[in-house]
Amino acid sequence: MASKFGLAGGIPERRVRPIWDAIDSRQFKNALKHCTALLSKYPNSPYALALKALILERMGKAEEALSVCLNAKDQLYTNDSVLIDDLTLSTLQIVFQRLDHLDMATSCYEYACGKFPNSLELMMGLFNCYVREYSFVKQQQIAIKMYKVVGEERFLLWAVCSIQLQVFCGNGGEKLLLLAEGLLKKHIASHSLHEPEALSVYISLLERQSKFGDALEILAGKLGSLIMIEVDRLRLQGRLLARAGDYSAAADILQKVLELCPDDWEYFLHYLGCLLDDGSSFFLGNGGNSIYPPKHVGCKNLDLPDEVFDTRISRASVFVEKLMAECDNASIRSPHLANLEIQKRKLIYGKGDPGKLVEELMQYFSRFGHLACFTSDVEAFLLFLDDPNKSEVLEKLKGCELTSSSQTKALGQAITIFKVENLIGNMFSLPVCELEGLAVRMADMYCKNLPVSKDLDLQENMHGEELLSMACNVLVQLFWRTRNVGYLLESIMILEFGLTIRRYTWQYKILLLHLYSYWNCLPVAYDWYKSLDVKNILLETVSHHILPQMLASPLWSDLNDLLRDYLKFMDDHFRESADLTFLAYRHRNYSKVIEFVQFKERLQRSSQYLVAKIEAPILQLKQNANSIQEEEIKQTEENVLKNIEKRSLLPRMIYLSIHCASSSLKEHTEANGSAFDPKLSLELKVLLERYARILGFPFQDAIELVLGVSSGQKPSEALSSDLIGWINFVVFLNAWNLNSREIGFSNNDKPRPSTWHLVNSLLKKYIIEKMRSTGPLLSSPGGDLPMLVQLVTEPLSWHSLIIQSSVRSSLPSGKKKKKGGVTEQANSHHSHEIQDSIQSLCDAIKEVTEWLSAQINKLDDVKFETIFSLLQVNGEGQGPGRILHMFENLISSVDNTALGDRISQALQSWDAVEVARKVGAGQSSVLSQFLRICESKIKSLQALRTHL
Amino acid sequence: MTTIRRFCCNDLLRFASVNLDHLTETFNMSFYMTYLARWPDYFHVAEAPGNRIMGYIMGKVEGQGESWHGHVTAVTVSPEYRRQQLAKKLMNLLEDISDKIDKAYFVDLFVRASNTPAIKMYEKLGYVIYRRVLRYYSGEEDGLDMRKALSRDVEKKSIIPLKRPVTPDELEYD
Repeated sequence: MASKFGLAGGIPERRVRPIWDAIDSRQFKNALKHCTALLSKYPNSPYALALKALILERMGKAEEALSVCLNAKDQLYTNDSVLIDDLTLSTLQIVFQRLDHLDMATSCYEYACGKFPNSLELMMGLFNCYVREYSFVKQQQIAIKMYKVVGEERFLLWAVCSIQLQVFCGNGGEKLLLLAEGLLKKHIASHSLHEPEALSVYISLLERQSKFGDALEILAGKLGSLIMIEVDRLRLQGRLLARAGDYSAAADILQKVLELCPDDWEYFLHYLGCLLDDGSSFFLGNGGNSIYPPKHVGCKNLDLPDEVFDTRISRASVFVEKLMAECDNASIRSPHLANLEIQKRKLIYGKGDPGKLVEELMQYFSRFGHLACFTSDVEAFLLFLDDPNKSEVLEKLKGCELTSSSQTKALGQAITIFKVENLIGNMFSLPVCELEGLAVRMADMYCKNLPVSKDLDLQENMHGEELLSMACNVLVQLFWRTRNVGYLLESIMILEFGLTIRRYTWQYKILLLHLYSYWNCLPVAYDWYKSLDVKNILLETVSHHILPQMLASPLWSDLNDLLRDYLKFMDDHFRESADLTFLAYRHRNYSKVIEFVQFKERLQRSSQYLVAKIEAPILQLKQNANSIQEEEIKQTEENVLKNIEKRSLLPRMIYLSIHCASSSLKEHTEANGSAFDPKLSLELKVLLERYARILGFPFQDAIELVLGVSSGQKPSEALSSDLIGWINFVVFLNAWNLNSREIGFSNNDKPRPSTWHLVNSLLKKYIIEKMRSTGPLLSSPGGDLPMLVQLVTEPLSWHSLIIQSSVRSSLPSGKKKKKGGVTEQANSHHSHEIQDSIQSLCDAIKEVTEWLSAQINKLDDVKFETIFSLLQVNGEGQGPGRILHMFENLISSVDNTALGDRISQALQSWDAVEVARKVGAGQSSVLSQFLRICESKIKSLQALRTHL
Repeated sequence: MTTIRRFCCNDLLRFASVNLDHLTETFNMSFYMTYLARWPDYFHVAEAPGNRIMGYIMGKVEGQGESWHGHVTAVTVSPEYRRQQLAKKLMNLLEDISDKIDKAYFVDLFVRASNTPAIKMYEKLGYVIYRRVLRYYSGEEDGLDMRKALSRDVEKKSIIPLKRPVTPDELEYD
């Protein structure tokens, strides 16, 4: 904390220092003591008050902190004798921000700036406030003011950035950019520019307005020298020329870029584009929504005259030859790949020969085929070829004598050939026995090459690691084709084997977590996920591997951790992002200012974030669905968001349903005696209509459909497109009808069942159906278990909440005495309905618990032999299990000297039985957690029955 | 095949395949963004065809007087692109910027004392072990402070190894 003339906030620094020290060492009680003493001497000092508020906030006393802050604010506003300085205001600002009252901090600064209109320090503080509030217009105004007061370049640039933000992230029109340009022009005329970042802002401003000529002129002038790295200036110049349509000049400049950076593939593509009068590659990635640019770039200007095309493309060839001759660095790949691109362009322009492209590909293979990145390098070219040519490449590759001098290179080339085979889709057409042979060859190659990695540190990637991932993929394909679970087990085994040898291979872990999830071993899948140590921004980019499965699982506590960590990360970032933006302003890295704001907006649009925001409260509802806590439900209402609109409606519909149910008996009176607001029932109807629309039906048609399925007139698959959605609809429909009684039962010739009956029958029908189709977990991976879990933890739970609410309202309230007659009759009918519904739910869940217990017992009894029996090689030596057998042979004949100690020891620790046991235990754990949920449901339903 | 350009925020959403490697630390957001906000010239990413991320380097420039220096905070290369001298290219770039644009005296970096492959690589790139920092990593493992002198340090004073190890609280910078 800074101080002037030994004063801090108008108080001698020596009096304040003990407080600062105590805060820094987190001794808040002590700090508060010192602060109270200080306040007794300076009772009206806003700074002393701000310190007290800061301490209180740190101690978790938010309310007290706020009231002290407000007191300080009052002093600032009303007491003319107090000092107003940035130290006081910035301290208050910290507290206000932590208390989510940014607006109050802003008004303090606004007030101070009004009082001392020329204080730069205060204006900077105010600017900072506006940055935090994303008030771009106000940022611009205050920046201009600062610029006028001191005339510094940086404040002008702050204003220019604020204008750009209005256009890019706010609702400012493009013509605002003209204003920004004018401001800069005027400043440059009198003061020039002194920072490279300022220049790049200026040029980006012109570029955005398509004033390429102006931008080029500036770059060529004195200001251009601000860009100190020659090649950066050339890149910029080339881009501007291309965008201006001056392709020939652009190509000349880009050629210079490539002479300086011969390995720059992106700029080679730009260069070739410009040679062929096509600058479209420069427009990619500008304003696009994807973080991944398109893989295939289309070409424009295909109507170049033949002779022009020929001259230009041969110029490219000659230049590439020259680059190759000049660079002696064996790791430079770009000029070699350039030859493939040239052949590809020739084909696009109808002047090529696919044979030549194949030839170039083979050339590239002979040079770089051993590299792990070979296949991704040539992917675009391989996919460009037609099927016969693709097959030709594969044949040629397979025919290559892999005579590479080093074993690692030969291994790399062999892996590449497998990868190419996979990429061109050849595997889909292979017969089962060949496919199996392929997997075996891959695993065999892995085993045989283990000695190559003998001297590698555990930290280093082993040679041939990809072979096991590829073999795993082949086995999964075999499983899909044959439905033989043995292949699935074997695919798991080989990855586990690979991880036994080196436990860090994340690629195996990701594959494994999907395989375990699919086989209903979610706890094991989640363990592997945790071993990836996914944190910070990886939560956004990696957690989708596990989140969807967890959302439909009974592993609530793990799911809760997952959602909490992820949301905390995102929300923390949204909170601190503006501070980092201000940091970029302060360090004059203006391009980063725009980038940071846009990045925050991108993260806010993350669909995973929306899902987590909606699902976190729904999870809470699921966990608490055995007893009503209205307050909680009320808080979980979410904004309606199109793509997850249906899920976002849930909390509100549950809330409304509970109210409707509780008012079903006593006319317009709720259980707690308060009057029932008929608007709630109307709202529920509106939401039901919307919900039906999302399910794809008008309200009335949706009702007809569920009635039809319930009565057996329509097939049960009619609801299978979104079963959980439909049953939820039925549950809420009943709740709404309890109050509105709009769905009549005898208005037509056919008597209709009550909506209670509708819920009972559909819930029971589908729960039993899904339970039966789930089958024994061990032999039927995939399956309907997640669906069954969701049926019980969602619609059934919501329905039991509605029952609970009805039961409560039917209890004698004590205050009012009931009168006999019609009401009582209705009540008794109603309580029968409730009884029936409870009975029906209990029956259904009981069947599930019995089934679960039987399954768990079975799993506990399962000997690993049973699991191993899935791996049966038939009489012809085919079927799953061959690779595992190979591993066992390898282990039984371990040669320490060939493999080295580390690998030998790892091999010895391999335990296939343990993996089999893990599969059984993982499934058993999922079932047990689900069983616990079911049992608690039965218990709470039975407790309700005793109230009736 | 390396297009090296400034690292930008969107790259944070694309570098998972590099960062899932267990030796590559994924820092919190304010760490990355502070580097981007303060030293954007020291944060570069290398891309392969198809705009795949090959690796990246992050660093900073700091210090006073003759200890004004470039610092490598992290350099990492995806397994798919190893053994192609990419780390060297990225390091050279950072050294170049420290040398020519910021006129620093030297570049330094910290490495786990046990990470022999990395130490060997840095030695090949011209770095020497300047001093040992006791229990630098989470209070457990020692770190090595390695340095390479730049053209401004004509007499190469900055890299004369210290005779004794130091403790983390003796370090001038974080």
